[in-house]
Amino acid sequence: MKLHYYPGCTLKEKATALDISTREAMKRLDIELVEPEGWTCCGAEYPLTEEKIVGLAAPIRVLRQVREEGGDVVVTTCSFCYAVLKRANKAIQEDPLKHKRINAYLRDDIKINERTKERTTGFDDYNGEVKVLHLLEYLRDRVGFPNVQSRLKRDLKGLPIAPYYGCRLLRPQEELGLDEPDNPHLFEEFLEAVGCRAVDYPFKQECCGSYVSVSLPAAATEASYRVLRSARMNGAKAITVTCPLCFYNMDHRQDAIKETFLDFPGLPVLFFTQLLAWALGVDKKLLGLGEHSVPADHLFSESPTTEVRS
Amino acid sequence: MRVKLKAGPEERKFIQRIEELSGENVYACYQCGRCSAGCPMAPEMDLLPNQIIRLVQMGMQEEVLRSKTLFLCASCFTCQSRCPKGIDLARVMEAVRHILDPKGKDAFGPDEISPELARELPQQVMVSIFRKFAK
Amino acid sequence: MTAKTTSKTKDKRIGLFVCHCGINIASIVDVEKVAEVMKDYPGVNFSTDYVYMCSDPGQQMIIDTIKKKHLDGIIVAACSPTLHEKTFQEAARLAGLNPYQIEIANIREQDSWVHTDKAKATKKAIKIVKSHVAKALQNENLEPIKVDVTKRALVIGGGISGLQAALDIADHGYEVILVEKNPSIGGKMIQLSETFPTLDCSQCILTPKMVEVSRHPRIKLLTYHEVDSVSGFVGNFKVRIRKKPRYVDETLCNLCGECEKVCPQIVPDEFNMGLSFRKAIYMPFPQAIPGTYTLDAEHCLGLNPVRCGKCKDVCQKKAIDYDMKETIIEEEVGAIVVATGYDLYTMQALGEYGGEKYEDVVNGLEFERILSASGPTGGAVRRPSDGKVPKSIVFVQCSGSRDTEKHNPYCSKICCMYTAKHAMLYKHRVPDGQATVFYIDVRTGGKGFDEFYQRAVEEDKILYIRGKVSKIFKEGDKLIVWGVDTLTGKKVEVEADMVVLAMAMVKADGVMDLLRKLKVSTDIHGFLAEAHPKLRPVESLSAGFYLAGCAHGPKDIPEAVAQASAAAAKVGDLFAQKELVHEPTVVPVNDELCSGCGICIAVCPYGARSLDPERGVAVVNEILCEGCGACAAACPSGAAQQRNQTDNQIFSMLTAMLRE
Repeated sequence: MKLHYYPGCTLKEKATALDISTREAMKRLDIELVEPEGWTCCGAEYPLTEEKIVGLAAPIRVLRQVREEGGDVVVTTCSFCYAVLKRANKAIQEDPLKHKRINAYLRDDIKINERTKERTTGFDDYNGEVKVLHLLEYLRDRVGFPNVQSRLKRDLKGLPIAPYYGCRLLRPQEELGLDEPDNPHLFEEFLEAVGCRAVDYPFKQECCGSYVSVSLPAAATEASYRVLRSARMNGAKAITVTCPLCFYNMDHRQDAIKETFLDFPGLPVLFFTQLLAWALGVDKKLLGLGEHSVPADHLFSESPTTEVRS
Repeated sequence: MRVKLKAGPEERKFIQRIEELSGENVYACYQCGRCSAGCPMAPEMDLLPNQIIRLVQMGMQEEVLRSKTLFLCASCFTCQSRCPKGIDLARVMEAVRHILDPKGKDAFGPDEISPELARELPQQVMVSIFRKFAK
Repeated sequence: MTAKTTSKTKDKRIGLFVCHCGINIASIVDVEKVAEVMKDYPGVNFSTDYVYMCSDPGQQMIIDTIKKKHLDGIIVAACSPTLHEKTFQEAARLAGLNPYQIEIANIREQDSWVHTDKAKATKKAIKIVKSHVAKALQNENLEPIKVDVTKRALVIGGGISGLQAALDIADHGYEVILVEKNPSIGGKMIQLSETFPTLDCSQCILTPKMVEVSRHPRIKLLTYHEVDSVSGFVGNFKVRIRKKPRYVDETLCNLCGECEKVCPQIVPDEFNMGLSFRKAIYMPFPQAIPGTYTLDAEHCLGLNPVRCGKCKDVCQKKAIDYDMKETIIEEEVGAIVVATGYDLYTMQALGEYGGEKYEDVVNGLEFERILSASGPTGGAVRRPSDGKVPKSIVFVQCSGSRDTEKHNPYCSKICCMYTAKHAMLYKHRVPDGQATVFYIDVRTGGKGFDEFYQRAVEEDKILYIRGKVSKIFKEGDKLIVWGVDTLTGKKVEVEADMVVLAMAMVKADGVMDLLRKLKVSTDIHGFLAEAHPKLRPVESLSAGFYLAGCAHGPKDIPEAVAQASAAAAKVGDLFAQKELVHEPTVVPVNDELCSGCGICIAVCPYGARSLDPERGVAVVNEILCEGCGACAAACPSGAAQQRNQTDNQIFSMLTAMLRE
């Protein structure tokens, strides 16, 4: 089956591992991912003031395009994109002023027919017709974790993995509604379903430092360090994330972390779809492991801990 | 330093503007401090998150606009998820940033990123940091 | 219970008294004009205005005028009848006029207080008064309905409030039935270690009252019983009480304890909040009253068929009887005091504080058991996980209270005081320990309370930090508490060995089922609703029901005792009357018009109406009827007409208002 998939700009260049592993994993589940035609960056930040309405134009345009292509669901893996798309979708449905302004803005966009190259203007109002789902909830609700489990080709033998939710997946709960911010289960269920053991640790929803790693690196270094340290202390062999920014802060910047916090030996950082793909039998070469700064290859070896089942 | 506490039209206008922009009732905050207790960036801030909203409540516009705290907020929403009065402090922070002088200097702009760093950074980071901290 | 018709409409002489109510009415409504205009209105024999009708001279004016002008009915155009209807009815009665010939025309709450246009408000006042004249012309003399009172009381709940109420009512000379669902009386207070602000040993001050109740000649103590159903009305309740089988004859049990020794079943001990274990056959605590063992059938290996039988084998007094069954007792009472107590908010709700996850994060009652000399640690402060003596304890106030977002919006009142108490007692027993309290405010409104708190801070050197805790989690052996000091503007982290959460006080577990059976109303939090928040704090709006203790809302022991005694006094008021008097403005059934359709029975919220199967018409229990009028509105044939508020009267009022 075909499923609309919004990768987000970062996945195409700096976090290709997340993109590749997602596609490969979904192939194994017989799902073909289709990107909406001519998609743009979602804007990364949902505008938090009542007047920055124009910031909603980009994400709504993406959703509208999905609708135009006949889709009623769009799936994304990046937490930032998920938060922006979902919140924008809700705003369009609940705030009449935003609905009016954004639709007025987008109405006169130019449509280009791919076949005839004919250009027309005029789109119907977007009213929230498309549902935004994060891949984790798509797997839980539409595919079903038992279904995923039945298709596993590799036994990960309870590899202890720390699930890292970060901020954008869970908060604000009222708008994202994915799970309880202080007592979540979704990611743990996913890890159990792919054969890992979900490690419980108290920093799974604490901020990694986010974009402050650029403006005040020391603050983000400490924030990421605390997350990694807690995961390691509780027995995790790796930490798994859903967000390219978390990956950047905890993987690419792990050297900076080690330089500041000398007692930290390191911890590999994985994208959740890499685990999913690996468990579903995808070839190691297609997991994007080359992008990692912290070596993670040893977790994906065809040795005593794993075996290929056909 | 003696503060002459005013509650005049200017202060009221400022508070109203913040409430209008953020959609939050700043008077609902009873200064429990839970936002500051859970904020991951609080140790670096000059004013704690609860102090920011306190200054808004008191109409002390100049002091709050001067603080470095506004540009340390990572919009992680931990404050919002734990506030017992349901105040979204991240929105209040954004509202205060919004009323800063548009012609002023960027708190963190493109000039601060070297070409080498720009090549390394995920697009996501650059887009979000400029949207939050630059004009 | 019949009404007497006296004066005919045409000859009726009505008097009108228009009140200024100072400026409350007179600043918007031209009261003098109203009185003036109404002078010539047909039916009105006398019309005047006065500054405060409810005052002594005002009332005297009414009395004098009724006598002088031989009035058959009066209208007082003033404030809402909920305030002074009784006042004017009494004045009329003193003047020899039937009190039900009084009409209150509300020109304040319904006119002067809601409008600003003086001309229009005055016109409206005149219309309102005219409508009441139309009604008054058709009012009949009515006599209050009288009913007997059963001078026995039922008290539900054997905690401090229930015990106090029972003792006071019994000391008045009336019989009391005290029902307690647990095997022993004592409630939550018996679980406490010491009480603030005196640090009295809780059990020492409570057990004398418990013994007094058990020995009182007029108190029938029914423990391990539950109220099954209540029917009837004030002064005349019929209660069905379910006796749960204890499987031990309390008159024979001599507390030798042999049964407990041989019982193989181990159960978490609820009295010790799950911090220790008991057997399936157990005594909840040493001073339990009645002093007997109880066999907990739910945790026994099996009684039917008998799977174990060891306890019965060793019982020398032959007190154990596996064949005991549940029985139902029926009692008649005149008043019911509801004193069902409270529970603490579940720690599961505060995931970020790790209450359910970490053994060493406890709530107030668990800490009381740790502090108690009769508790699982014999009063030594040790933490549940490994028995270590904690060298640092963090106390977190407002856990689940004062939270409008997710938890309970109200303040639980007692936490500030018991937290100070807990911290003090900890410091007394572990002098080199560190006690830190995180607070938003410290509320110490009672007598000696603030001095107690200052003692905690100044003498016991407890560190109070103003800031609400964001998160608590375990790292290694320690609990990490993330807080903030808003007073110095610093984010703080504390490493503690143990954390005590001052959890919110909430309604008692399972109480809603009981309250629905009683038909007693609660507020949105499940606490009993009082009849008036200021002036009637111990009565329910349901006549005959009285409230005491934390079932009504969070409060401390002195307040609970005061409220219990007040409730007992109100019960005394009820019982002091020879007979009860009920408002006669009820809705009787006109048999000739009634078709027996049953609609009125379905709509009655008080269960006052029923169908007479033989005659095929509805009948009303005038005592239960509260005169709400729902049946009168629903009745398709007009057989249900409220006394002094008939359909005809209402139509006359409308006509008077709409006619120009």
